[in-house]
Amino acid sequence: MSEIFRRIQYLLNRRRMDEELAGDMEFHREMAQRGGRSNFGDTLRLREDAREAWGWMWIDRLGQDLRYALRVLRNAPGFTLAAVLMLALGIGVNVAAFGFFNLIVLKPLPVRDPDTLLRFKRSAPERYAYSLPYQEMAFVRSHAKTLSAVLALNTTRLTMEGKEGPALVHFVTTNFFSELGAAPKFGRLLDASRDEAPDAPLVVVLSHGFWRSQFGSDPSIVGRTIRLNGRVLAVLGITAEEFSGLSMDKPDLWVPLVQQPQIVTGSHLLTELNEGVGVRTWGRMQPGVTPQGVEQELRYIVAEFRQQHPAEIWEKESLVSQPGGYAKSLMIGDRSGTGTEQPDKLYPLAMLIGSLVFLILAAACSNLGGLLLARGVSREREISIRTAIGAGTGRLIRQLFTESVVLGLLGSAAGLALGYLVLKLMMAWTGAPEWLDASPDWPVAAFATGTGFVSAILFGLAPAIQVARQRHRSTFSKQLLIGAQVAASCVLLIVAGLLIRALDHALSASPGFEYEGAVAVMPGLGSHGYTPEQSRAYVDALKDRLRELPGVASVSATATPPLAGSNVMVVGVTIDDGRHLDVHWNRVDPGFLETMKIPIRAGRTLTSSDMAGILISESLARKSWPNENPLGKHFLSGEDATGAQVPYTVIGITRDARMDALEDPDSVDAYMLAGKDDLPKMAVVVRMSGSLESIVPAVSSIARSIDPRVHPRVQTLKGAFRQKMEGIERGTAAAAVLGASALLLACLGIVGLVAYAVSRKMKEIGIRMALGARPGHILSLVLAQFSRPVAAGLVVGIGGAAALSDLLRRQLFGISPLDPIAYVAATALFVGTVLVAALIPARRALRVNPTNALRCD
Amino acid sequence: MPKKEMPAGSLVLLILRVLQSGPLHGYAIAQKIYVLSAEVLHVEEGSLYPALQKILLKGWATSEWGLSETNRKVRFYSLTPAGRAQLEAELADYSRVAEAIQSVLKTA
Repeated sequence: MSEIFRRIQYLLNRRRMDEELAGDMEFHREMAQRGGRSNFGDTLRLREDAREAWGWMWIDRLGQDLRYALRVLRNAPGFTLAAVLMLALGIGVNVAAFGFFNLIVLKPLPVRDPDTLLRFKRSAPERYAYSLPYQEMAFVRSHAKTLSAVLALNTTRLTMEGKEGPALVHFVTTNFFSELGAAPKFGRLLDASRDEAPDAPLVVVLSHGFWRSQFGSDPSIVGRTIRLNGRVLAVLGITAEEFSGLSMDKPDLWVPLVQQPQIVTGSHLLTELNEGVGVRTWGRMQPGVTPQGVEQELRYIVAEFRQQHPAEIWEKESLVSQPGGYAKSLMIGDRSGTGTEQPDKLYPLAMLIGSLVFLILAAACSNLGGLLLARGVSREREISIRTAIGAGTGRLIRQLFTESVVLGLLGSAAGLALGYLVLKLMMAWTGAPEWLDASPDWPVAAFATGTGFVSAILFGLAPAIQVARQRHRSTFSKQLLIGAQVAASCVLLIVAGLLIRALDHALSASPGFEYEGAVAVMPGLGSHGYTPEQSRAYVDALKDRLRELPGVASVSATATPPLAGSNVMVVGVTIDDGRHLDVHWNRVDPGFLETMKIPIRAGRTLTSSDMAGILISESLARKSWPNENPLGKHFLSGEDATGAQVPYTVIGITRDARMDALEDPDSVDAYMLAGKDDLPKMAVVVRMSGSLESIVPAVSSIARSIDPRVHPRVQTLKGAFRQKMEGIERGTAAAAVLGASALLLACLGIVGLVAYAVSRKMKEIGIRMALGARPGHILSLVLAQFSRPVAAGLVVGIGGAAALSDLLRRQLFGISPLDPIAYVAATALFVGTVLVAALIPARRALRVNPTNALRCD
Repeated sequence: MPKKEMPAGSLVLLILRVLQSGPLHGYAIAQKIYVLSAEVLHVEEGSLYPALQKILLKGWATSEWGLSETNRKVRFYSLTPAGRAQLEAELADYSRVAEAIQSVLKTA
């Protein structure tokens, strides 16, 4: 211990210690000279040897190397700039990708003690749901000893007087704000002691964004009232701008959950135990409790609750937790389904993106490696002088590698800035919530620095060794670098090609139903407290009135409006070869297939008495019963009119149509009649023969006359389709930009190497020309050495793309991940561009004047 | 008689031993070893000072300013208690090894 202490003292007082040592040695010499000896070694060298014992020489050497590296880089500003830009690109895209991952998965939400928050889902062997019935949540809240608090949230769209379009309302438990450690900007937030009581006045908290857009940031709104769904609520306060809440959407208003029935009259949210209505639930762990401990306790509590409600609480139900203080847990929303839950799609996607951005870095690094080797030629003199005055190979390698590390770190800094910019733009583009703070935190900074180091090793270590040993003229390492660049760019181009093909296919091919002339009318009856019977009456009235409108060709109802992405119900089935299929459950009325123009291929369509009948799509039929007639087979099960579980019987096969997951070839659709529980969720789809514009005011006036409280949302399916396409368009654009940058890098690399090859072979070219070689011969002379590495790189790249593309399969709209058009087009584009790029410097070889060339050395 | 360089590792032991009788400066340490070894063991500058640095770092000796016989300000090195303990341990080790070598040389 004290030795380390002394070492540090030596480090801190290095200069004084060195002087003392010098004094000692000088004295030693004086004395020795008197004694008649005079064979002394080099003082400096001897002193260095003695200092070595302190163990700090590496700091001195590092300092020397750094100073020298900075001087070398400053003297070659062009090279330094090119290298840093290249690295900034390579590191920047990695930083952006990691920054996004960091925001979603690693960075805790800006709330109090995010690490002790858990989010719960209901889970049983055959089903899962991410929202709990209110009563179940309340039972857990009053019984769990391992949780210090339980938070719950229910989201609804309601009409607010003075606001165009519906307001996004979050009903929350009154401990919501205090548990999350939120402070108000003005007024106060919800308070369990004042707002929880049954007779408490109706109150609302405004979000910062809503307060700004709706009330022009007027603080005097606090204490006034707003009218929500016809009820008067007192405005308590406004949240701070940076408050995240527990959702990725941007809520306008927060209202106590216990007041929900008073605002949404007739709602049974607080009493209903059926699936589909419920609250997202979080718990805060007591200190010293593990998530496993919580789950253990909740298993007993849920089992106890099931004894009181055996019909509604599932058999073997447990509440499974996941970390609740991270954005990832907020992205799930209210999903529910039966069968096995579809595996997390985030990680394969993250894997894919990670691989692609790494390839860009690899391309940048191999390019830079080539540049360093080429620079080695111009530094031959310097290196040989340094060797001559006693620098060992190890010392030279360390010096050259230090230069690369400095470059790598400069690249890190530039990449960090670029990555931040890209991420910021991406988030502005996708309308991410404002509290998601993209500015780099320490994991991102560490990632950027680490990436800089790794790239320094990738691009700098091998050239340093080769240049120090004066072997940088070897063609093998150059060919390796070329091959690596070709492979990396090839993968990126092919992936971009696949995405472009998929987008093209998605835009031109039909999703299996006609969306162009159709409109979805979504009244959201459930959030207005409609019972199934009332809902049926409302939907029937709405359908009848819509049918009378001019220009309306067909009207029907569905619980899952096409392309809306809401209320989607997915049943996972595993088919024979072990693949996981997502069956999208469309609960519809008998006319739905006709309205959507989905033809029946075999069997018959649904009639209003087919409670146990199911229509399945061709793909599902083919995958579930290959070489068999599926008609009459039993498939999964549902509830009949009395609520008992009965198996569905396949009565018809439809043409393939994807109502929601257009991009996923493993999703298939099935259609059955809507059950009683579906009725409050029903939407009406209208097929128009005339223009679509007239429908919006017509729907509003019809809706007003049926029930003035309900303001149905109207969306053209074409608009919904466009929206869905925007996501993949962005992804494709990003992949295309990555592919183009990789192509550019590869071209730059090839141009540099060919130019170098031409200048080295000047004399040979001159001789050959003098002997009558044709231009074709000369070109092949300078280009031939690159054909093999390029070909090898292409093979590796195509293989790599094929291996990677399986991760993309479910995003490709049914285009095969081995789609030959994408592969051939990408490869052709690459070879063509690189060939043209290579010809630019190669032409110089043709202009060689033999007499001059022979004279030159 | 040719001058002999130190066998590796024994230099530290010798330095500690000559410091046992009192503080000395660097040149005096080399001289004392040279004289006491009957002018056989010659301690070069290049090995003396690294060894001294190591001894200082380990805390076996400390240095103090003093005046040399030529009236020059130089550092005198003196043993610390830890240095004495180290010397004893190294001496014991050395005698064991030397005896072992002796017995091999005699009987083999």
